[in-house]
Amino acid sequence: MKPSKVRVFAPEILPLSLCDYLGEPACVIFFSGCNYDCGYCQNWRLKVMSKEHLVDIEKIKDSIMKNRLITACKVTGGEPLLQLEALSELGRYVKSRGLKFGIDTNGSLPDPLKLLLPTLDLVSIDIKTTLNEDEYRKITGAGEPCVDAIRRSLEIVISSNAYTDARMVIIPGYNDSVEVVRSVSGSLRSLGYEEKARRGMASLTLVEFVPENAHSEEFRGLKNPSAENLRSLALASGLPNIRITHRIAGFYVEIESKSNNGMEG
Amino acid sequence: MTEAILNGKLTPPVRRSDGVIIPFDKELIVKSLLKETQLVKTFYGGSPMNEEDAKKIADEVEEDIRSMKLHFLSGPLIRELVSVKLLEHGFDKQRNVYTRVGMPLYDVYAIDNSEGYEAKENANLQPNPETFHKKKADFLSKESYLLMLPSNVADAHLRGDIHIHDLEYWGTRPFCQDWDLRYFFYYGLMPDGTGTHTSVAGPAKHAEVAMLHAAKVLGAAQTNFAGGQGFFNFTVFMAPYLMDLDDRKIHQLAQMFLYEMTQLYVARGGQPVFSSIQIESGVPKVWQEAPVVSHGKVWKDMRYGDLEGKVHAFTNALLDEYMKGDAVGKMFNFPKPEVVQRTRYWNDKNFEDIMIKSAQLSAKFGSTYYDNMIPVYRGGEEGVSCFQCCAYAFAEDGRSESFKRKIFFEDGAHFSMGGMQVVTLNMPRLAYKSGGDEAQLLEILRDTMGVAKEALLLKHRLMKHQFDRGLVPFASQRPKGAPPAVDIDNLSHTIGFAGMNEMVEHMTGYQLHEDQSAQRLALKALIEMDKVRKDYSAETGMKFSIARTPAESSAQRFAVADMIHYTKFAKELVKGDLEAALPRYRESRDVPIYYTNGAHVNVAAQVPIYERLAIEQRFFPILKGGDIFHIWLGEVNPDPDALLKLNRKLATESWVGYWSHTKDITMCMGCGYVGGGLNSRCPVCGGESLKHYSRITGYYQDVSSWNAAKRQELKERYRVRISE
Repeated sequence: MKPSKVRVFAPEILPLSLCDYLGEPACVIFFSGCNYDCGYCQNWRLKVMSKEHLVDIEKIKDSIMKNRLITACKVTGGEPLLQLEALSELGRYVKSRGLKFGIDTNGSLPDPLKLLLPTLDLVSIDIKTTLNEDEYRKITGAGEPCVDAIRRSLEIVISSNAYTDARMVIIPGYNDSVEVVRSVSGSLRSLGYEEKARRGMASLTLVEFVPENAHSEEFRGLKNPSAENLRSLALASGLPNIRITHRIAGFYVEIESKSNNGMEG
Repeated sequence: MTEAILNGKLTPPVRRSDGVIIPFDKELIVKSLLKETQLVKTFYGGSPMNEEDAKKIADEVEEDIRSMKLHFLSGPLIRELVSVKLLEHGFDKQRNVYTRVGMPLYDVYAIDNSEGYEAKENANLQPNPETFHKKKADFLSKESYLLMLPSNVADAHLRGDIHIHDLEYWGTRPFCQDWDLRYFFYYGLMPDGTGTHTSVAGPAKHAEVAMLHAAKVLGAAQTNFAGGQGFFNFTVFMAPYLMDLDDRKIHQLAQMFLYEMTQLYVARGGQPVFSSIQIESGVPKVWQEAPVVSHGKVWKDMRYGDLEGKVHAFTNALLDEYMKGDAVGKMFNFPKPEVVQRTRYWNDKNFEDIMIKSAQLSAKFGSTYYDNMIPVYRGGEEGVSCFQCCAYAFAEDGRSESFKRKIFFEDGAHFSMGGMQVVTLNMPRLAYKSGGDEAQLLEILRDTMGVAKEALLLKHRLMKHQFDRGLVPFASQRPKGAPPAVDIDNLSHTIGFAGMNEMVEHMTGYQLHEDQSAQRLALKALIEMDKVRKDYSAETGMKFSIARTPAESSAQRFAVADMIHYTKFAKELVKGDLEAALPRYRESRDVPIYYTNGAHVNVAAQVPIYERLAIEQRFFPILKGGDIFHIWLGEVNPDPDALLKLNRKLATESWVGYWSHTKDITMCMGCGYVGGGLNSRCPVCGGESLKHYSRITGYYQDVSSWNAAKRQELKERYRVRISE
């Protein structure tokens, strides 16, 4: 492959992560720039594409080439789909190395997502709360959050061959009610989630919100939800293949199996 | 009378340390000098004192005492006066053997209050009455052995050129041992080695008894050895006792064994036995056709290969119980589970469960160790080999005649793998001495290895002497005329090293991760060391090996010693918090500076893990005496499935022979929360009464009991993930 001239806003690479790509040791590449402004965001320093974030894409490729410990590569951010050209090129490169390729996205950019799909093995897509403009605005800080775009992204991903992990960060006082989780579940159901989940190709993950690293002061003042809290919300959703991630419960814990597998004496 | 004493006309009465008060008698000085200086001959081959010199010394001492006008005298005081007099007259060696050893009262008091002398030398020692007693004994022993050693060896240790490990046990205990359980399943158990002070048990007939015997073997062995105790091939040798048992029962037994090994709180001054077990998922090739030894007999019609199902079930049970932890959810930090990696275990679907559970255990507690037999240099398919305790490795290749006899347990022939003694080299110091010249460096390296060898040969002689007289009785036991439990001539003499990174940094200007020239020099030094090692083996017929030292305390000791003797160079190179150490290092050894262990990359280096692997794995084939690859996990909750795939890559695609994932753990004393990461507040109840656990060098322990340098290192470890 001939060296590319493409440059990308990507200030950080995590050479090995054991909790960012489902089931795979992966390197994680952080693209900067985001069209949302979520108060709970942990990577808020990457919100703006600043000049010093610019790197040659060849440099990223080189670090992937040397990394013999990984089986996958994930791009996160920021919102990676804002830099589609670089992302596509990276995706093709990652696939050419025989590695799996995945992204994190907030779901607001369905068209770029559709273009990228052929290289994607995994899409982790955020669902912040009930798919409704007002509710979304509260969390994302975006004037026009465009939940229709989110719905379209979900539809595109669910009907594709990529594994779909819908992720919902549970923030007490914002989206930690049974009603919200049921509403999200209902949206997912209407988009064909259940059928895909039964094939083992989709999951909904409820993620513990970690106040310590949150962007806004308001969110830093909140408490993290308890593992029990996440567990009962998960059970209330009524969806198959639902999981929770919590520092006490563990990474990506399947809820159905956990409830059958009670403590031994 | 008092007046006469004060006028110097009479000598005061003497309080002797054996509990009486007697009048001063200078004849006693003469007699003791003649008797005790005989040791000059024993230790250094020099001559004892003659009567004429002894009398002269005694006369002069008497005169001094009179002129001092003392109220009272004590035995120790007179002895010090005699010692000074000996030095005045040039009887240095005689002074060495005549002097008292012991410690200032102030320090004794501090020990009882868990302060002072080596309070943090070994994180496995909890402050308790046994520990305080051990500390005093350790001090006395170390001081005496330094006097008994040839002065060039003692000085090399004291100056910090080398570190003689477990010096307190120099004259009494070999280092470590990986035991062959078949021996005890055939001959039974005598914890005292002779059967005179303890009851004598016949060979175990029941599974519970077999488990308890195994635990007691390690407990008894610990009283004879300075370092770690383990069982190689543990799950295979245990299998014959599990034949008729269901899974539930096997789990119960596994749990019992883990509790025994973490609650037998009796070793070396009140600590659990420093133990490890080698866990095979199935039956290795060399054992497939070997006859089963258990229940007091060698089975004619049963081979270990027939028991593979039970080996598998037992391994499963052990991993399940490790995963559960103890009653409060805390990990079992001993016995260290050494899970063997073989191509067959990775390729045969049947063993997938073990590989998965090992990864799950790493993800939960970080406690799994991976003993990788796949790289060719391990010789794991044709021979037997194991990693144990602080990641030292022992092996026997399958080529010798005796190997076969041991496999078949002919006339009680069995494996005895272990270490006699470890002496560690201060690598950065070699560089300082060399003046930056490479040829000179290698020359000094050989010389310093020569000092280590001298120490190791001396240890060998000493231990053989003790062994032959039955003074290491558990090791030398010979039940029913069996061959001795430990083959004292087969123990490994290990030359360790610390600070390779800083050595090359001084020579080339680069740390290991910074430039290839640094890596090349490290490799060159190791190859040279290996060559010298082979020469030693050929010359003496004894086992010598080169190993990365765990350096729990020596990495700190060397750094401090070099700050004292080579300040100009050392202050550029020592890692840690030099500023905090500077005002204190001349008074205390426990300051937060250190050298990097073995040939590892600086723990704080901001290099991706795959680059660290590329550098460190190249050293493994040379370091057959032991090395470890650390993966410091940054994730609070690593994904076990991802960890599993990482393990597969390390096992099948790298040269790493031994690795572990270290996960830092916080435990809340208030609500009982146990979770990943080092938190300053409990994420559940907000409490601040927390205990932090992490891997110190080769094992997990409470961070608060670590020495200052190791605590500093923990802060600086560059994790797989660093949260922003």
